[in-house]
Amino acid sequence: MTLTPQDAGAALRDIEAAQARSAELRGYQHAAPNFLIWGIIWAVGYGLSDPFPRHAGSIWAVLVPIGLAAGLFAAHGGKPTFAWRYGAVALAMLAFFAATFFVMAPVSGKQIAAFVPLFVALAYVLCGVFRGPRYAVAGIAVAAATLVGFVWLQQHFFLWMAIVGGGALMLAGFWLRRV
Amino acid sequence: MSADEIIHQPVRLRIMATLNALPEGERIEFTRLKAILNATDGNLGAHLTTLENAGYIGIEKDFVAKKPRTRVALTRIGRRAFARHVSYLRDIIDGAAGEDAEKRP
Repeated sequence: MTLTPQDAGAALRDIEAAQARSAELRGYQHAAPNFLIWGIIWAVGYGLSDPFPRHAGSIWAVLVPIGLAAGLFAAHGGKPTFAWRYGAVALAMLAFFAATFFVMAPVSGKQIAAFVPLFVALAYVLCGVFRGPRYAVAGIAVAAATLVGFVWLQQHFFLWMAIVGGGALMLAGFWLRRV
Repeated sequence: MSADEIIHQPVRLRIMATLNALPEGERIEFTRLKAILNATDGNLGAHLTTLENAGYIGIEKDFVAKKPRTRVALTRIGRRAFARHVSYLRDIIDGAAGEDAEKRP
């Protein structure tokens, strides 16, 4: 079989497109469990913070480690090569939030409760720029839900975030699982 | 070096490229591969059989929750053959580029 440079070029373009799509969909498939888990964590965390706002700190102190552990094992079976990266990212984010809240000194729990999902949404949008548009769509949905709740549903912001924020993450998780 | 005729067929080329993007040893489900390639059951099945007969892919069938599951992975032979074929394609383009450069005054 003899191929012309045009045939070879077309074949290489096909290969590149197929490999990019394969890698993108594989990434979605691996990310999906984390979206589902954190959707549940948000639903439970914000759902409990609504009736018990004074205990919000304790609620999240229990839920965040559960979410991290579950996310790690669901996505990659706790493989050591991935575990340290996952742990490092989690630690960096927690340190960033602690430092930011120390510097900015938010005056209400709702500000903290809105800032974290907005930061997470930013991370998803940035991820979407490099790794696939579905992350960006999920990030924009979470950011929009957070801002709408923060501006218009001050009284029931936590409940809103439990249903709409957690729900958006879970829906994104189901969407990422689809081809 | 010549083109690998088994790999170069358009659907098989995309199958091999899709599998090659996965880490070594990782399998992909038939249904997922079918959706990615936008192929029919019969068409994909026939091309997978051709690739399996050449030793380029491994097909594993089992049951999950009483439902049949078929998973496909690239073999080491397949990965090497695909790399050779890609290298051959690049050589053609590089050769053509070299000839063009020589023709320029």
